[in-house]
Amino acid sequence: MKKKWLAGLGMTTMLMGSLLAGCSGSDETNSEGSGGSGGEKVEVTLAGWGGNPSEQKLLKQTIADFEEKFPNIDVKHEVISEQYMDVLKTRLIGGEGPDVFYLDALEAPALIETGVVEPLDEYVTEDFDTEDFEKPMLEAFQVDGKTYGFPKDYSTLALFYNKKMFEETGVEVPKTWDELREVSKALTKDGVYGFGVAPELARLYHIAQASGGEVVKDDKANFASSEVVEALKPIVDQHLEDKTSAQASEVGANWGGEMFGQQKAAMVIEGNWAIPFLEDTFPDVEYGTAELPAINGEKGTMAYTVGYVMNAASEKKEASWKLISYLTGKEGMETWTSKGFALPTRKSVAEKLGYDEDPLRGALVAGAPYATVWQEGANLPIIMNNFNNQFIAAFLGDRPLSDALKDAQEQANSEIQ
Amino acid sequence: MNKRSSKKKLRDAGQGYLFMSPTLFVLALFIIGPILYAIFLSFNKVQLLGGTSFEFVAFENFSRIMEDNRALIALKNTAKYVLIVVPCQTALALILAATLNAGLKGEKFFRIVYFLPTLTSSAVLTLIFMWMYNKEGLINNLLEMIGLPGYNFLGDPDIALNAIMLMNIWATAPFFMVIYLAALQDIPDSLYEAAELDGANALQKFFYVTVPFLRPVTSFVVIMGLIGTFQLFDQSYIFSGGSGGPNNSTLTVVLLIYQYAFKSLGTMGYAAALAFALAIIILAATLIQRKFSKEESLY
Repeated sequence: MKKKWLAGLGMTTMLMGSLLAGCSGSDETNSEGSGGSGGEKVEVTLAGWGGNPSEQKLLKQTIADFEEKFPNIDVKHEVISEQYMDVLKTRLIGGEGPDVFYLDALEAPALIETGVVEPLDEYVTEDFDTEDFEKPMLEAFQVDGKTYGFPKDYSTLALFYNKKMFEETGVEVPKTWDELREVSKALTKDGVYGFGVAPELARLYHIAQASGGEVVKDDKANFASSEVVEALKPIVDQHLEDKTSAQASEVGANWGGEMFGQQKAAMVIEGNWAIPFLEDTFPDVEYGTAELPAINGEKGTMAYTVGYVMNAASEKKEASWKLISYLTGKEGMETWTSKGFALPTRKSVAEKLGYDEDPLRGALVAGAPYATVWQEGANLPIIMNNFNNQFIAAFLGDRPLSDALKDAQEQANSEIQ
Repeated sequence: MNKRSSKKKLRDAGQGYLFMSPTLFVLALFIIGPILYAIFLSFNKVQLLGGTSFEFVAFENFSRIMEDNRALIALKNTAKYVLIVVPCQTALALILAATLNAGLKGEKFFRIVYFLPTLTSSAVLTLIFMWMYNKEGLINNLLEMIGLPGYNFLGDPDIALNAIMLMNIWATAPFFMVIYLAALQDIPDSLYEAAELDGANALQKFFYVTVPFLRPVTSFVVIMGLIGTFQLFDQSYIFSGGSGGPNNSTLTVVLLIYQYAFKSLGTMGYAAALAFALAIIILAATLIQRKFSKEESLY
């Protein structure tokens, strides 16, 4: 009897043992080489989302240059291709976060607030030259005077117009929104819409604030205010009354760039990302870019920026900083932005690469000084979701704009607590 | 004597548990533990990122559901979805199974063809359907061919959920069809013969022999259907790109849970409360279904 009992115990321990061993197996490889000093090799993980293949190649090139310069640091590049923020947050919670990662300016305030992002001020040295960065882009990663990340690149919005359609119709590139509406009327014919519009807050933010309204006030949604509604009204009116604008899904496209490439819209408002896309996918489309039309006599556009930040729980902070400082440094940024897939956030690099003279990118660079950076406190993602959800109802004519936005604002503010 | 035997019993039981312990360990770790943890979360305000913090808030998360407009919309959408999809897919499955069992020519071929949608992953199906529903897609092209105006199915809030329903009925009915098909083999021929002698026609045989005999299977199919449809997530997620739009029309309860758990920071506790509430709703629906179907009363 006793023997049997022992045998049972033995079996169980074995089974349990193998189970536990299975669980813990992967830990050992991770904890190697903490600190970063000394002769041994350090592996730093860098996580980001994927881009187009040529963009990926460029990043690989930049990383290879870095590894050559710092032979004792290995960079492990991880691509999170879908649901970047969800994956990243989950990994950070689980303590398996990457050492260095991309962070969109939009998400930055909320993530910084939680304390998972390392402040970088004490690492910065004189020759890193933080003064060189475009100020609004750098400020997107600063909270209470501390810098948590450095912008790797940015893009503003510009007006993309189809040269052939403009020539055939004999109209000029619009300089104001009123002109844009007029021009759209002339351009809309034969299944082609004059203006391809993206009914989302990220693209409409500067328009919404153009009449002096505030979309976000004291970290709460405020977009149902009469100034904002009034400012957005023309967008809805153009779609419903003039019928000279359409969103991408109305013509079977996924986004503005595709709609423009398929020649179903004569004008779209897009950023730098559309240029390589059009080059690759629709090389036959002849188009030009211009600064966004002015509203009430004032120029405005959006700027989107992404930065490199460091995981506060990283065990290899020295090496991680070396990576960040190289990637956002003059040398690394020049390689990364050399092909024009992204615009440099350093003034010196921008000057050297001369994108302000570029026929297509000039309009984007020209927008940088007056652009509104797409970021407004920790609650902007919630506010944006609710805005988008209801704005589309107004855009499609299901309900009046002011009612839709009022509902969306109430919902957003009830979610912010 | 008594004491000794109880000691022996205890030892036997201990031995049994010892042998079960690996399984128990796995169950506790991956099933029971997470459930208990979710219940714990639902009573707390939770911030997981950074300094993990739990703050006991009792029933605040649950009372918040009542005030949350989107939760009500999600529940309404899900209920509408369940009420339409479950009866339709059950009826369709039964009809398909009955026709396949009628001894027609090429039965095996059709069996495979009918079953194909179930074999395809739902994510892939959703993408294919989205192309078909596209403004320039198959359905609109067909409409155009017969001279009807096209329609933007994906962008219209009134249509989006129906489009998902249609797709889901089409994709899950064959799975239940197979279950019905297996059950149909069990119906003795003598019953049909007797019905024939009584002068029943094909339709009467179907309604008075086949359907009553399949009642326990129907009960199973409906319960599985209820659970599956209440948990609708992937299709509406892909359809709306995770937002539940346009205008909250494809927002389902599970999608809402996902949004609160992963999209916004610090609402994990509320998400757990929603999940818990959903579990109770499904449980209630299943119990009601059982009460009405009288599963045991098979002749």
